[in-house]
Amino acid sequence: MVSKVLAAASTKPVILSILTRGEIYGYQIIQNVIEVSGGTLEWSEGMLYPVLHRMEKEGSIQSQWRISENGRRRKYYRLTEKGRRELELEREQWMSVHKVLSKLWKPLPALD
Amino acid sequence: MKIRLSDKEEKKVFNLEKSIKQWRKSLNKNEALEDGYKEELECHLRDKIEHLMSHGASEEEAFQEALGKIGDASHIGGEFHKTNTRHLSGRPPWRKSLWMPGLLSSYFRIAFRKVRRQKIYSFINVAGLAVGIACCAVIILYVTNELTYDNFHKDVDRIYRIATHRINIVGEFWMSTTPAPLALDLKANYPQVEEVIRVVPPYENASHVLVVQGEKRFFENRVWFADPEIFRLFRMRFLQGDPATALVKPNAVVLTKEIVEKCFGEENPLGKTLQIELDYDIRPVKIQDFEITGIIENSPANTHLKYDMFISMATMLSNLSDFNEDWIIPKAKYTYIKLNPAVDVNFFEEQIQQIAKKYTDIYEERFNRKMDLYQYFLQPIKKIHMYSSNHREIEPSGNWYYIYIYSIIAFLILLIGCMNFMNLSAALSTMRTKEVGLRKVVGAQRRQLVWQFLGESLLITILGFIFALGLISLLLTFFNEMAGTELSLAGLKQPIVLLSLLGLLLFVSIGSGSYPAFILTSLKPASIFQGRLAPTSRGSMMQKFLVIGQFAISIFLVICSLTVFKQLNFMRGQALGFDLEQKLILRVKSNLGYFRRNYEAVKKDFLNYPSIIGATVSSSVPGDKSDSGYYMTTKKEDFKGASRLKVITMDYDFMPEYGIKMVAGRSFQREMGNDETGSYLINMAGVKELGFNSPEEAINKYYQASYHRITKRIIGVTDDFHYRGMQEVVEPLVMDIEDSLMNTLTLSITIENMDGLMAFVKNKWNEHFPGVPFEYSFLDDDFNREYRYEKQMGRLLSIITTLGLIIACLGLFGLASFVTQRRQKEIGIRKVLGASISDIVIMLSKKFVGLILISVLIASPLAWYSMNKWLQDFAYRIDMNLILFVIAAAAAWIIALLTVSFQAIRAASASPVNSLRDE
Repeated sequence: MVSKVLAAASTKPVILSILTRGEIYGYQIIQNVIEVSGGTLEWSEGMLYPVLHRMEKEGSIQSQWRISENGRRRKYYRLTEKGRRELELEREQWMSVHKVLSKLWKPLPALD
Repeated sequence: MKIRLSDKEEKKVFNLEKSIKQWRKSLNKNEALEDGYKEELECHLRDKIEHLMSHGASEEEAFQEALGKIGDASHIGGEFHKTNTRHLSGRPPWRKSLWMPGLLSSYFRIAFRKVRRQKIYSFINVAGLAVGIACCAVIILYVTNELTYDNFHKDVDRIYRIATHRINIVGEFWMSTTPAPLALDLKANYPQVEEVIRVVPPYENASHVLVVQGEKRFFENRVWFADPEIFRLFRMRFLQGDPATALVKPNAVVLTKEIVEKCFGEENPLGKTLQIELDYDIRPVKIQDFEITGIIENSPANTHLKYDMFISMATMLSNLSDFNEDWIIPKAKYTYIKLNPAVDVNFFEEQIQQIAKKYTDIYEERFNRKMDLYQYFLQPIKKIHMYSSNHREIEPSGNWYYIYIYSIIAFLILLIGCMNFMNLSAALSTMRTKEVGLRKVVGAQRRQLVWQFLGESLLITILGFIFALGLISLLLTFFNEMAGTELSLAGLKQPIVLLSLLGLLLFVSIGSGSYPAFILTSLKPASIFQGRLAPTSRGSMMQKFLVIGQFAISIFLVICSLTVFKQLNFMRGQALGFDLEQKLILRVKSNLGYFRRNYEAVKKDFLNYPSIIGATVSSSVPGDKSDSGYYMTTKKEDFKGASRLKVITMDYDFMPEYGIKMVAGRSFQREMGNDETGSYLINMAGVKELGFNSPEEAINKYYQASYHRITKRIIGVTDDFHYRGMQEVVEPLVMDIEDSLMNTLTLSITIENMDGLMAFVKNKWNEHFPGVPFEYSFLDDDFNREYRYEKQMGRLLSIITTLGLIIACLGLFGLASFVTQRRQKEIGIRKVLGASISDIVIMLSKKFVGLILISVLIASPLAWYSMNKWLQDFAYRIDMNLILFVIAAAAAWIIALLTVSFQAIRAASASPVNSLRDE
């Protein structure tokens, strides 16, 4: 299980990454996260929409209301150009952290 | 086919659409959620429900789970707020702060204003609580003291006392004592033992020694011979001197601060000499010089081994050379050990049985006689006070019974005080509804108000505590005298006591503040200001309940104390079977050898004074709880299956002086010439014990007694006089003329000219026992002292009852005055319409009187049950009868009526003009 702080910090890159796969609506995002993480990353559902709305305000994603196949109105989100750039930035940062940690966690060479 | 559902079932059917609609409506509560947000959330909810239903959940289950995940309006709002703010607490602006320090001053001002304006009510509250708290505090001190006995020593869990389990043909006995050489053997052969010491009283049955310091002479109790390592084993703080060497040399003595002050005042006595008279049981009396080698702190109250003075064991050895060899009789010698850490106690206990066996074998061989079987067992020192029931215990063990009784009583008093508080605050708080309304209107949340009211009750409770502190010292003096304890205010400093008091503080303030805090704050401001607040039935029910509770407790206590007093009176009034009045008792503690050889001459000398009309000498007097006894057998030197009878040894004058009646045979008579060598008397219980059907049958039977091994003839049977007081059944008793146990002189006196008499007696005493302090007592005083526990309880109960009743009445008084005040206008109108004063008094009192009746009904069975239980402990007891209950009920009723009608009469006789005039 991922800690609350880490889960909160990773919300933005995770949403951006999911959106690279195409247009998607809120409930699907949650389902995706559960699937990909195998349940180790648990989001509170109430938390998702405020985050999406803020990201839309910041311009990294766009939303559109559509009528879905069962006739219900649904709000779909997709990535903007700015979002893609941001994701790139995020990826670099996360990878550098990842590198540092994996180096540190390798078995230590014997000191003699 | 359509199935018709009944109305009820129809309601139960879950309608998903309706539920979702409802939920969406509930989101409207949060104005920050715009329509688009809500739609999106609804869509999410529906997706989730569909998803869950596709996995087999029912509509209702799916809805409930989805709802739980997504949260309610305030939760969703909170999430929105969190992602959009940097506020640290994460508290959205539409939620009010619960902690507004700015309001504190207002709370305090209101609370103090309330206390000041309602002086009488505040006084009743505080006084009631203070009494309850003080009682509880004293009991907490008492219970802590009882339960923390001996736990202050270093490594206390490794300290044990070795005790003896002795089995012989008569039965088995557990004794706290052990032979003196046991300690030496343990020290030499058992590496598991880290320390071992002995503590020995100066005499077998008494621990007083005569101390002489210049002109001052007095008997000192709590004196012990002790091995020098005692200060390593027990925690005793040295003020002066060196603990390692203080008790090494012969004739060295360590005193407590108290004794030093008594003997030397302000002087520093270290190195000075003190004279102590010791007679080592058999040797002639010796006054010896002792060097003071140390001064220690006074004995704490919570140790089973209380002390004033320690004398070096070397002193004992230099006077009694065979002290370290006497394996046979475990006389009064106490052995304490400290085991090394990690020693298996049970295994060690088994190992030391070897010691007993070894020495038994040696002695059986040497004397060619079968010895009793001795075994040793360990008693953890911490458990001695509450759990040891051995013979020869150093001080009477603690009594769980009294711990329970005192705790219950203290709790009851506290309860009355609390109920009082609750009741009055409930009554008064109706006057505060407007305050509650106003605070709510300007934005107070219920939780804040709850804290405000609880805080107020905390304030009152703290006031109660402050007053209680004053009361505690007063109560303590009384309690100590009554219970024979040595509790002091210093005990309040113990962390456990402080903790309990803190708990008490919280318990009382929450308990008593709960009514206004929870009921009052639930009121809606609108209804408060519309004046739609008729006294709620819930509130008045509670007030009734509280009054009933208080009076039930009070009546319970009244019945209990009446019963205790009645039992006491009964015991005092019972025919004891001997003369109790006008007997002056002189106990000989020193020069016993002289006394036993010359008592006839001593008696004759005392009889020279005209108002001394009789004198007799005996081993004990009625009322003494002596355990001395003889095993009596008809067979020679064979005590197998022998009967044990308690014994009083006496001279020829004892029976006539004490007026004891004979049932059969004759009493001891000088004229018969040989009664001292050849005769016994027994009592009726003794007749039964020895297996005779009638007293006549026992006459002229021969018995050998274990004590002196002389065979004597039973010449008479006495009445069962109550020689051990009325609490116990009269036990089998044998009376014998045996000089070696005599130690008490009884003088029968007439009471005119007491001054002259006492001067004469003192003079004579000094003639016969020079240098021995003159101490005397009167038999009736001594005897009544035997009822100390019962008296204690009677006194405690009567005080508690009075306090309880006073508090309950204060409460009732407060309540009655409040009710009367609220009905002032009604009373005015009634009077205008022609009601008489008595009509109004009856109207006002009726309600309360009914409540008292209910309390009587509740209290009576409880009191009946518990008092019956208490009475079971007495061999001779009264029956519980109805009259007691009637008296208690009537008393409570009259007191309550007086309290209420005092208010009622005042209200009823006031002129209606005053109450009806409205300006």
